[in-house]
Amino acid sequence: MYIIETKKLTKSYADFTAVSDINLHIPKGAVYGFLGPNGAGKSTTMKMFLGLTKPTGGSFTINGKKYPENRMDILKEVGSFIEAPAFYGNLSGEENLEIIRKILGLPKSSVSEALEIVGLTQFKRRLAKQYSLGMKQRLGLAGALIGTPPILILDEPTNGLDPVGIHEIRTLIRSLPEKYDCTVLVSSHLLSEIELMADRIGILNHGHLLYEGTLDQLKTDAASNGYPTDNLEDTFLALIDADNQERGVLK
Amino acid sequence: MNLLSLLDVEFRKIKRSKILFILFASTVILWLPSIINSDLNFTMQAQGISPEHNFFIQGFMGMSWFMFPASMVVSTVLLTQTERINKGLLKMLALPIHRSSLCIAKFIVLLGLAAVQMLMMTGMYYISAVISSGIQDYNFILSPLFIAKETGLLFLSAIPMLACFWMLSVCIQTPIFAIGIGLASIVPSVLIINTKIWFAYPMSYPFFVITSEYGTLAANLDTSQVELIPWIPVAIAVTIVALSISCLRFGQAERR
Amino acid sequence: MNVIMEFKKAKRTGLLPAFLCGGILAAAVPAVNMAARAELYLTQQGTPVQILLNANWQVMAMLNVLLVVAGTCLLYHTEYADNAMQKMKSLPVRESSIFFSKAALLILLSLFVLIIEAGATVFCSFHWFEAGTDIYTELCNSYGYAFLLMLPCIILSLLISAASKNMWVSLGIGVVCVFTATLLPTDSFLLSLFPFATPFQIFTGTDTVRVMHYICAVAAELVIFSLAELIMIKIRRYFA
Repeated sequence: MYIIETKKLTKSYADFTAVSDINLHIPKGAVYGFLGPNGAGKSTTMKMFLGLTKPTGGSFTINGKKYPENRMDILKEVGSFIEAPAFYGNLSGEENLEIIRKILGLPKSSVSEALEIVGLTQFKRRLAKQYSLGMKQRLGLAGALIGTPPILILDEPTNGLDPVGIHEIRTLIRSLPEKYDCTVLVSSHLLSEIELMADRIGILNHGHLLYEGTLDQLKTDAASNGYPTDNLEDTFLALIDADNQERGVLK
Repeated sequence: MNLLSLLDVEFRKIKRSKILFILFASTVILWLPSIINSDLNFTMQAQGISPEHNFFIQGFMGMSWFMFPASMVVSTVLLTQTERINKGLLKMLALPIHRSSLCIAKFIVLLGLAAVQMLMMTGMYYISAVISSGIQDYNFILSPLFIAKETGLLFLSAIPMLACFWMLSVCIQTPIFAIGIGLASIVPSVLIINTKIWFAYPMSYPFFVITSEYGTLAANLDTSQVELIPWIPVAIAVTIVALSISCLRFGQAERR
Repeated sequence: MNVIMEFKKAKRTGLLPAFLCGGILAAAVPAVNMAARAELYLTQQGTPVQILLNANWQVMAMLNVLLVVAGTCLLYHTEYADNAMQKMKSLPVRESSIFFSKAALLILLSLFVLIIEAGATVFCSFHWFEAGTDIYTELCNSYGYAFLLMLPCIILSLLISAASKNMWVSLGIGVVCVFTATLLPTDSFLLSLFPFATPFQIFTGTDTVRVMHYICAVAAELVIFSLAELIMIKIRRYFA
């Protein structure tokens, strides 16, 4: 049973194709790592799931609901964090979350819970525009985690955090499925990071899905294709490199 | 970095900002009614002004009383917001540039936009004068020398006003107040140009200059004339004070 | 409920103080005018409210319209400045409900401004014209009418602000529209229906049939602009 499933999902612009015919299968209760270099189409795919951008081909279902017919229902079940944090600069961190809480119709306590989870409680009264990069990132995460939705879509959630913060967030993401019975789709351009969090991974390059499956399976596949396997980062780089050469893209 | 290359940079920053479109649209809207109502220019015997002069002065009065100052308020919003939206100013302040030269460069961009709108205004004047001449079978076209003189005068008289608008947008961080005070300050100039202390209110200068020109062109109309003596020193003082304050305050909020 | 939320979003942006100051400024216009030239107006024919509005409404309405333009620009500026709009779009809330809540907020604020101005009119009527309590009916009619005729301006201005991510573009278009309104000939009914021009109308001295025409036209404009907003959201979603 897959909670998110895409069929030949495509997004093309006038002059290039950001996402091309991808078929993703994200099982319920898993942490699914979405991997790829910058500009591979990870954010575009995630934006399509949220209805922030319209697919030009193919379709997807989230928890059995189709886009665009059930857009509102999808959004009610998905907590999201996309690219740069989005917030109201003139409001404090707490006030920003308060607005999201009201829209989602959550109990009052969920704001302080979300602040506590991301460790922003002591800065909750500071204006969001005065937050440091890491704090803005945490605020964005709190906006996704608030009310612990059944599905979480997180786009490079550890960007801009310090090593301690990265570790905290990773541990948090890892623990989410067990604690709250939810599914997490998390993207990153670092395999080493995904390795520590994800059960299954999908590798994207230039809008194409190069690989989907478990990490162990990736290692076995790579070995049989003659890629280095002692270090996963090298495996990933070799995979991308081979794909780039096939496409005639210069390194 | 010298001022010239700094100016080049500043003009690049407002690329694709659609400001030229707004400035252009306003001049088109200004002249359209003049073309449609061009027959009214023949009914001004009471004022003793020739139809072609009336055609010209009515358009320029509309421009100088509201459209031109308001477009300039919009331009100041453009100049400050492009820096604030993605923290561009923070980057600029971290580069080896003097803060005040950055401030002055931006002010010159504002002057540039004002000059562009003046040119568009003149261009549209000639286009509509040609069209109206065709419709009414009467020559509305005035000599380019005269128009250049009037436009130049209007531009020069606008400099203190622009300095004040620039000071407002630099000093007031809350956008709605900068905009609100700017726009609200335009409205009273209709009343102030009829008083003796008009020279103390820079926002009324362009409108005053054009209105007094109206008086010169219309034989039977008595409008107050420009008196250079209290005006020029006051105007220069206002410009210097406004620009000094802007240079002092520029980037201050980002340097906290 | 949602109006309260939109009001909270506008915290610390100076929206409320701006409307308060704008209202006071516009209210000061008749008072200052009377203080300066009382003898000119006291000799005029008509009721105090009529004289006061005839003398000052053009300037007051101009200030009101400019205030509305600045306010709408600001309301959407807070959404776009730090990308909050993207977060809103990924939450289960309709964009149209954000729009209409903002509209309701502005309508309330404009009502507040008009009440301040009405207060100034009452003050001037009593202080200079020594009017009786019979002015209240006329006053309510006049300001009620002014309020109705401000509605299309609010909705259209908000529509312009919602359409543009950059504040200077929406402000620029708004300012050009206000200017167009001042250029339009006042004798043409059709042209005076331009949403930025309707707030300049005065109730007293207008015959009842005309008044009804304006009210119907305003209602039609409200429907049209609301539909335009809904269509715009659809189109944007299509091209996103």
